Order: sequence, then C-alpha cells, then structure tokens
Amino acid sequence: MIRLDDVHVTFNKNSPLETRALRGVDLHIPKGQFLTVIGSNGAGKSTSLNVIAGLCRAEKGSVKVAGDDVTDWPVHRRARFLSRVFQDPKMGTCEDLSILENFALAHGRTKPRGIRRAVTSDMRDDAAERLKVLGLGLENRLDDKVGLLSGGQRQAVSLLMAATGDTKVLLLDEHTAALDPKTAEFVLETTKNIVNDLGMTAVMVTHSMVQALHAGDRTIMFHRGKIVFDAMGPERDAMEVGDFLELFKREQGEELADDALLLG
Amino acid sequence: MSLYELLGTLETGFIFGIVALGAYLTFKVLDFPDLTVEGSFPLGAAVAATLMVGGGVNPWIATLLAGFVGFGAGWLTAYLNVRFNILHILSGILVAIALYSINLRIMSGPNKPLLHVDTVFDAFNSFGIPGYIINPIVLGVLIVVIKLALDYMLSTGLGISMRAAGANPAMAEANGVNVGNMKLLGVGLANFLTALAGALFAQTFGAADAYMGIGVIIVGLASVIVGMSILPSGTIFLATIACVVGAVLYRLAVAAALNADFIGLQASDVQMVTAALVAIALIVQQSGVSLFKTARKRGQK
Repeated sequence: MIRLDDVHVTFNKNSPLETRALRGVDLHIPKGQFLTVIGSNGAGKSTSLNVIAGLCRAEKGSVKVAGDDVTDWPVHRRARFLSRVFQDPKMGTCEDLSILENFALAHGRTKPRGIRRAVTSDMRDDAAERLKVLGLGLENRLDDKVGLLSGGQRQAVSLLMAATGDTKVLLLDEHTAALDPKTAEFVLETTKNIVNDLGMTAVMVTHSMVQALHAGDRTIMFHRGKIVFDAMGPERDAMEVGDFLELFKREQGEELADDALLLG
Repeated sequence: MSLYELLGTLETGFIFGIVALGAYLTFKVLDFPDLTVEGSFPLGAAVAATLMVGGGVNPWIATLLAGFVGFGAGWLTAYLNVRFNILHILSGILVAIALYSINLRIMSGPNKPLLHVDTVFDAFNSFGIPGYIINPIVLGVLIVVIKLALDYMLSTGLGISMRAAGANPAMAEANGVNVGNMKLLGVGLANFLTALAGALFAQTFGAADAYMGIGVIIVGLASVIVGMSILPSGTIFLATIACVVGAVLYRLAVAAALNADFIGLQASDVQMVTAALVAIALIVQQSGVSLFKTARKRGQK
C-alpha cells in the first residue's frame, strides 16, 4: 500500500546546520497493516511520516501509495489516499467550523466539492451515528463549533474525520501525546477500533515504547535516519521493553539514551 | 440631519456594505489582509464608466463586467502571494499602485463624468419616485441579494474549504483543499464585490475618479470591525449582517461627526474621523465591552 524506496531527506542543506534526517530508508507497508514507528528525537520517525504525507519532499528516492508514484505530489493531492491525525488536537480540526462542517470537509477528500450545500441530511445522520459510538454526547452537538470542544473530544472528532470517505491509509503523528493518560488511552482504543473495523492501513508514530509494542501488528524503530529495528508476528508479540533495549544495545553498540522513550 | 442627508448616507452605506462583505471574505474568512481594494474600487468605477460612456454598454452589463475586471485584480494579488511568496500586504500594495496608472489609462484621464448616459438606477425612475429615495431602495435590495449569495457560497463544499483554508491551512491541505486556489478565488471574489461597489458608486456620484479609492481599505475594514464588535457574529448569517450594518453605522457616524460644526470638524477631516472610529471600535473589541452583547465577566471564558 505504501512503499518508500531509498528515501533521503536533508534539512538546512549546505549550511552549518545541515542535518541528514533520512539516510536511504526502504519501507514497504502492505495493505491492512497497522505499523507503529518509534525512535528518539531527531531519529527520523516524524520525517518519514511527513515524506509519506507530502509535507516534506524526498531529495532522493521515491514514495508510492496504492501503486501511484506520489513523490512529487503536493499534500492536498495525496489527501485522496491519506488521512492524518495530528499531535496537536487543534491542528486536526477547524475550530471555526461546526462538527458537521468538519465532517463535510473530510468528505471532500474523496468526493468532489461542489457548489451545493456541504452539509446534507445523510451526512448529519451518518455523523450522529458514528459520534454516538464514542459515548461523548457529541452527536447532540453537531452544529457546535469545534473550537468549543476539549482537546480529547477534538482528537476523537479528528479520528472519525480521518475515517470519513474512502481513504484507506491513516497517518497518526503522536496523536495521543498531547492528551492526559486517560484520554490518551480512550483515543488509542478508538484508533484501534477504527483501523480494525475499516481495514485501514495505518502508520502510527509514537514516543511510547509500550504503546509501540502493544498497538498494531508491526513495529519499526528509527535511529539516526535509518530503520534499525523491524519486528512483527510472534517475535514482536513476545517482546517486552527490556528485550527491545537489549536488542538495540547489541545491534547498535550503544545504550538507548532517550528518557522520554523509556518512560513513555 | 435631514431626510435627504439620511437617505444619501444610507445609499453610500449600502455601497460600502458591499465593500465590507468583500473585506469580511478576505480579512475574516481567508485571513488575507488585502489592500488591492484601494485600486479595484476605482477600477470598477473606471471600467463601468468607460463602457457606458464610450461603448454605450447597458449599465447592468457594464457594472457586472467591472466586477469581473475587479476579480482579475484580486486574483493577481493572490497569485503574487501564492506563486511567488510575496507578502500578502505587499502584493496588494503592488497591484493597487499599478491599478492607479491602469485606471488613468482606462479613463484616458483622471476622471470620467457620466453625462447623458443611463445608469442602473434610471430604470427605476419611471415609477415617479425621486432618485434620492429610489437609489437606497435599489441598493438595499441588491445588498440583501449579495449577502444571501455570499452566505450560501460559504456553506457549500467550496465555501467550507475556503473557510478552512483561512482558519487552519495545514488541516485544510490534509483534507485535500488546495489552499492556494482558495486564496485566488476568495481574494478575486472580494475584489469582484469591491469593483462592483465602485461601479455603483460612480453611478450615484455621477463620475468615475482615479482618486476615489483612497481610504476604501479603511472603510471596508472599519465596517467589519464596527459591525462585528457591536453585533453578534457567531454564524456566517449574523456576521454578514453585522458587516452591512457596520458599513451603514460607520457612514452615519461619519456624517454625524462632520455635521458637528460646534466641535470644528470640516469635510476634509473625514479620514481622521475614520481612523478615530476604527481605533475606538478596536479598543471596544479588545476590552470586551459591547453594546448588545453581555460583557464578559472577569475570570469567565
């Protein structure tokens, strides 16, 4: 479904601050797989997600989504294949629009945006039904502006928006990091349900090692712009954070020194 | 203030209400401070006047064509910003400055009197009602139609895309909205309205003038700020009403201030009065004091 071939990204090229964020990344994510991505700050995990989403252009290599070479496509053009949930709940929804209008906007990713009213009665029924599942009472607040909702509520709406329309790939960029633990757990559970129910291909970047190993069905780790760890199936299922650290030390010849990653 | 003066103020207020709706689209919806209007207002007047006087074109068609030329001016401003990353304010200034010369070319001089030609208002004169009464009525109906059309446009798929592009561009892009195209269309549309207003203003005033754009930006902005700071503007429907009412109130305030001979104000003080009114409206908005809305209590969100 998603294929990165020999992707290189360098920030601040030809300046003293030059940073090689990705150094020849090869990654194939088959259809329906839920991949979790982990790594310390600056390892390249978010950059790889941004390369898929189009926010960051690969200077070398190619990006393919659903068989199409999207390497040079702008963000808005890729949106027909990809939905995203941002780290900041305020980023994923438009606070000046109502909940329903946000859903209508998400519908436009795969359906033409016309000069007819964006919000239809079918859309209202559909949004109410899906919001009801969350149990947050948002189905009664469809015409409220999203700016009135809490961070957790906005992130939940953002997730449902990402699952609106026919997009089959979900990109999650540390989407639980800005939430309190209880809300984060709720949002993560909702994510798992959506991915399973709709059979979506998902890529979740996270700072939490536990989350990375316990959610989804494959985990990769970035370190200094390269994938250094890739596990799935029984090997991954049997793995605990301690085993993972041991493996990292053996392969890389150094200790993993990122408190956020370990504590997470 | 006499009835004649009051109706004249309403007439001008409704015309600038159209400018205010354009300013609402750029400043509030798209978050794109657009200075093109200083050039597109006289552009509309120049195009309509030249078509009507020189080409004998039907006044309605000439007014509409003026609007389309204004759309082109706005589109160009947005294009400079979107394609070449020129700061939006600077793009607007560049186009407005260029339009000053273009307007002189269009009119082959600094002005174009509308002598012995029919205007859009003449069609209604056959009812036997004098112009100073019929003009505000025609303009009032027109602005209601434009307001409702804008409300509808902003509720369509295209409209919510435009609103999202202004409020949260990253989110809009992630949802497949081409933010650049939304700016081109939105700023174009705002200048369509401004040029339309310029064309109508020339027809009530009796001439198009290269200098009639001076201060239009501040009038449009003032109307939006005054309207939205004293009236509820939680929905698009209410916000556009607030803009139009703001434009009328603003003209009334200017007219009243200039009638206040006892404090020594003259007609030439109009720009100073404008600036003072906008400043007061902004201060009122910042401090949360409102005439019709309940003031927020300390500590409440």
